[in-house]
Amino acid sequence: MGKNVLVVDDEPMVQYSVKRVLESSGFTVACADSGPACLELLRKGFKGLILMDIVMPEMDGWDTIQAMVDEGLNEGNVICMLTGKEVPDVKMDQLKEYILDYVRKPFDNAKLVQVVSYYSGFIA
Amino acid sequence: MVDRIIVMGSSAGGPRILKEIFSGMPKLNAGMVLVQHMPRFINQSLRESISRVTEMTVAVAEDGDMLENGKVHIAPSELHLQLVQNRHLRLIKGEKINFVCPSVDVTMMSLKPMDGMKMYGVILTGMGRDGADGIAYMKRIGGVTVAQNEETSAVFGMPKEAAATGCVDYVLSPVEIRERLIQWIGVAVGR
Repeated sequence: MGKNVLVVDDEPMVQYSVKRVLESSGFTVACADSGPACLELLRKGFKGLILMDIVMPEMDGWDTIQAMVDEGLNEGNVICMLTGKEVPDVKMDQLKEYILDYVRKPFDNAKLVQVVSYYSGFIA
Repeated sequence: MVDRIIVMGSSAGGPRILKEIFSGMPKLNAGMVLVQHMPRFINQSLRESISRVTEMTVAVAEDGDMLENGKVHIAPSELHLQLVQNRHLRLIKGEKINFVCPSVDVTMMSLKPMDGMKMYGVILTGMGRDGADGIAYMKRIGGVTVAQNEETSAVFGMPKEAAATGCVDYVLSPVEIRERLIQWIGVAVGR
């Protein structure tokens, strides 16, 4: 079962809290504070579960996923949105084949661990 | 030949909800097709996830497979799945429909009205409107139609669009969907 998680979020507090919650449950957590930083980690070989924010400066979560797909960097990685956006915007419609779930912030710690544990089981 | 068919469609949040729906589900007296929008490498993981919690047999569909009572066929990624004469499965390469392949609409709209055949269409969590035309079609040919409720949907897009057609009979939670399917369809003989 994959235990690697990549948190893509421009908010340091979100990175910190997700990392703390998941590491205490045995996950190895990396963080990227932007879409380009996420892509760089993927190019370096990250494989695992990606928790993707939507609203980020420079490159939003949807554009980041599109870039992943264009470069083939999504292969073998499970993508779940972790976002404060209550309702996803229409950009998700064209990317929905690549996104397995949509979890809202603020999150319940137990639910986050449950979701991450479940989808980590999908990673070879 | 099966005389009850369930077609269930889902997108974002679907794998989690499918696990909940299938938890403790006995072998239903129906053939079942699942269309989940997902990358190809997830296909077998989803099959295993569902298979672990239900008595139903779960398989990733192959071209030519026959529908069987008590068996779930998962539509493989990147191929549309049609039912031929409500009896066997045809997998087709094709353009994306509603931005996806496989499309829930394609599967639902391949069903044919037949005497004595009961059909059940279920639209679960997900973005967009895939499945809305399919559920309206299933209602027109006499099927029973269900959409997941907003409270339990990760994204209340597909169920909302399905309900907006005016062709959804029931709006239910995952647990209620499981219980209703068992109640409506019954358990396969020889269990």
